[in-house]
Amino acid sequence: MNPAPTELAATAQRKTSTLLASFRSELRIEGSENNWLVNDDGGLNQSEYPARWILAEALAMRDPAERVLFLSQACGPNLALRREVEELIEADAEAGQFLPEQPGASVAQAALRGAAEALAPARGPAHTPIAEEPGSRIGRYKLLEKIGEGGCGVVYLAEQTEPLRRKVALKIIKLGMDTKVVVARFEAERQALALMDHPNIARVLDAGATETGRPYFVMELVQGRKITQYCDAHRVSIRQRLDLFMQVCRAVQHAHQKGIIHRDLKPSNILVNGNDDATVPKVIDFGIAKATEGRLTDDTVFTELHQFIGTPAYVSPEQADLGSVDIDTRSDIYSLGVLLYELLTGETPFDHQELVNMGLDMMRRPSGLGRRSVRLLGSARWRRRIS
Amino acid sequence: MSEVIAILDRAAQGEAEAAEELLPLVYGELRKLAAARMENECDTSTLQPTALVHEAWLRLVGRDQQPWKNRAYFFAAAAEAMRRILIDRARRKQALKRGQRGPCLDFDRVDVAAEADEDSLLAVNDALEKLAAHDPQSAELVKLRFFIGLDYAEAAVTLGISERSAKRYWSYARAWLYRELKCAEWSR
Repeated sequence: MNPAPTELAATAQRKTSTLLASFRSELRIEGSENNWLVNDDGGLNQSEYPARWILAEALAMRDPAERVLFLSQACGPNLALRREVEELIEADAEAGQFLPEQPGASVAQAALRGAAEALAPARGPAHTPIAEEPGSRIGRYKLLEKIGEGGCGVVYLAEQTEPLRRKVALKIIKLGMDTKVVVARFEAERQALALMDHPNIARVLDAGATETGRPYFVMELVQGRKITQYCDAHRVSIRQRLDLFMQVCRAVQHAHQKGIIHRDLKPSNILVNGNDDATVPKVIDFGIAKATEGRLTDDTVFTELHQFIGTPAYVSPEQADLGSVDIDTRSDIYSLGVLLYELLTGETPFDHQELVNMGLDMMRRPSGLGRRSVRLLGSARWRRRIS
Repeated sequence: MSEVIAILDRAAQGEAEAAEELLPLVYGELRKLAAARMENECDTSTLQPTALVHEAWLRLVGRDQQPWKNRAYFFAAAAEAMRRILIDRARRKQALKRGQRGPCLDFDRVDVAAEADEDSLLAVNDALEKLAAHDPQSAELVKLRFFIGLDYAEAAVTLGISERSAKRYWSYARAWLYRELKCAEWSR
């Protein structure tokens, strides 16, 4: 049943009033900032709220009616301000990729490179490779403990000390794997990750190189349990499982829109952190992700290394076919399908061991699937789990 | 080391000359560190400005806690140094190309150095200078994020504002700059 128009207007009004009230209390604390605007007649006109506050909130509003109401109340009779904010909203919409959320560091890199080239290279003492281990420092990060390993990198729990203290995940190239090819692959991963900006995807925060020149990058630390465990432990209902699943789908969609395939979607790569405010699933470890567009990728890197990537139960048939690099976003969709199946039934459609034993053919036979799900849905044990 | 701290203290107290004195010191240190990095490896795409600026801080100022304003001035100097290098190079390249009318300005990839043409970069710089005259705080945020690569949380702490404020400054700066660029483009 859709809410009546007047109900929507009332909700929008409430939201606007709350926002403006929070502005006023912020202003009391922070003091008024530069919120003066030049009028048409050249005079200065102070707006009650800073233009950028109004802009930021307006940009976050999807509903045009809500936005219009908010603007008229926040700007009041100040037409110059209203026009200014509206123009800026338009500019923001057109701006596209201009100054994205995560500006690339390459502009600054170019500056540094240029600066360095001007200097004759200094002959320093040869560095002996230092093994990174818990306790050692890399830049402004202090490594605490190893939390994962895979592909060409090791992931550490680290603590950032400046400018603020927080825990992060730091991924560094494995010792002994610093060939140009692997470094390029690692860098491709970092760049691919940096392209993404989504609440359900772990973000890249920083990148650098150690004393010995080994590349590393720093990611948002995601704490939580793997999605299947979380749902079982918290007795999450079907509806909520579907909601979580949809959030994951949106994250994957975001990645796909950037031309990035995860290639290893499975419960252990989707962590859920439940707290009072919200239950947020986050997709992690696009570690073997590959960007399909742009100059970031190097096809030869993957075919050279001939690695079988992915976990059998979650891997789509085309991926399992070794040597095939013609994989697209549909492989991720397949894995999402398996995840959905597992979230709703408690088990994967194909048992890991069976797959390993019987091989690909079993995946392609439709009959195997049906029996299992009917059996599970009917089971009392499963019903207890989700009630 | 204490020389730099002294200059920072003066800058934090509002001395304009101190900020200018800081520039060559910070720039010199960044240059040395960048050169050392490039010496160790051939692949310069791993050269990371944020790490370098932090390292320069440690070397020039040390590990002791400094007032946040001192830090803010240091980072501002670093961003300014990077900006000047880039704009210098862009101007020289542009001068070489004088007479040849380039393609339309493309601002979408201006944050990816390999694809940014000098005309676009210079246009963005002009717009940034206009923004600085009108709203210095926003412009400073843009410089920190664009020329050093700090994320919101770090830029916020560096500027002494909340992360929420930082995001507002960013949305505003971005829209404002884009509008400015479009106006400039039409009058080209």
